[in-house]
Amino acid sequence: MASLVTCPHCGPRPKEEFTVKGAALPRPDPDASPEAWVDFVYLRDNPRGAYREYWHHTSGCRRWLVIKRDTATHEIYTTSDAAGHRGEVTP
Amino acid sequence: MSAYRVTQHAALADRKPVVRTGVSLEALAEGTVLHLLARPNTALPEIIGDAALSGLLLRSVSVGQWFAVGRVALRYEDLDAIQQKLKPVADVVDQSHGRVGILVRGPHATHVLAKGTAIDLADATFPVGQSSTALIGHIAAHITRTEQDAFELLVLRGFAESLWDDLVRMSLEFS
Ligand SMILES: [Zn+2]
Repeated sequence: MASLVTCPHCGPRPKEEFTVKGAALPRPDPDASPEAWVDFVYLRDNPRGAYREYWHHTSGCRRWLVIKRDTATHEIYTTSDAAGHRGEVTP
Repeated sequence: MSAYRVTQHAALADRKPVVRTGVSLEALAEGTVLHLLARPNTALPEIIGDAALSGLLLRSVSVGQWFAVGRVALRYEDLDAIQQKLKPVADVVDQSHGRVGILVRGPHATHVLAKGTAIDLADATFPVGQSSTALIGHIAAHITRTEQDAFELLVLRGFAESLWDDLVRMSLEFS
């Protein structure tokens, strides 16, 4: 895992300041099938490579972030405030 | 009437100021700390006028969040007035007993703090007036550069003694 995470609000910070909150998946519509919701709530891929996660800057600004990173190379591609991703649903 | 009285006890009451060569530690008197929580797009000037009326200084905490700090404890009536005044813009949470101030002062202050935090405290990136929340060791603290050589740390009360003792050790090389 990358050692330095650049928070969009606080700048580069050690990963110890953050809490990983799991895969950032598009949320199903409220009336989606039970199967779609079970998939969204419980089922996770464990990819080797590109991954998109919620991270919480627990010991900093305490904002929720969406971080795109690579689980194999530890590279972080983008970090952004999760508020900007509000309302993302499956097409 | 209860046999038990509420007693006032400053979190760092038994920690005497530490004066070393080029850096000193001082526990600040427990005055006023108000946590202001507004919408993310709320700009500083929008609320600064109101808080400044009561002689409080505003310190940035996060997106749409500020600490309004003062050296003296405000009376309930004054707190209530601030809360009413800010209501359209921000919610106010009284943190006066929840967060404790520690002043780290001196030309070696940045050197001491750099042992515990990843923030770049250089003049150019962290000028006077700048605030940020970050880990100092394993304890989260709100750091403000109040003067060229002075940093005010606001830490949760329960962690105050621990952070103080850490700072004592971090500054040992200047004793
Ligand atoms: Zn942050």
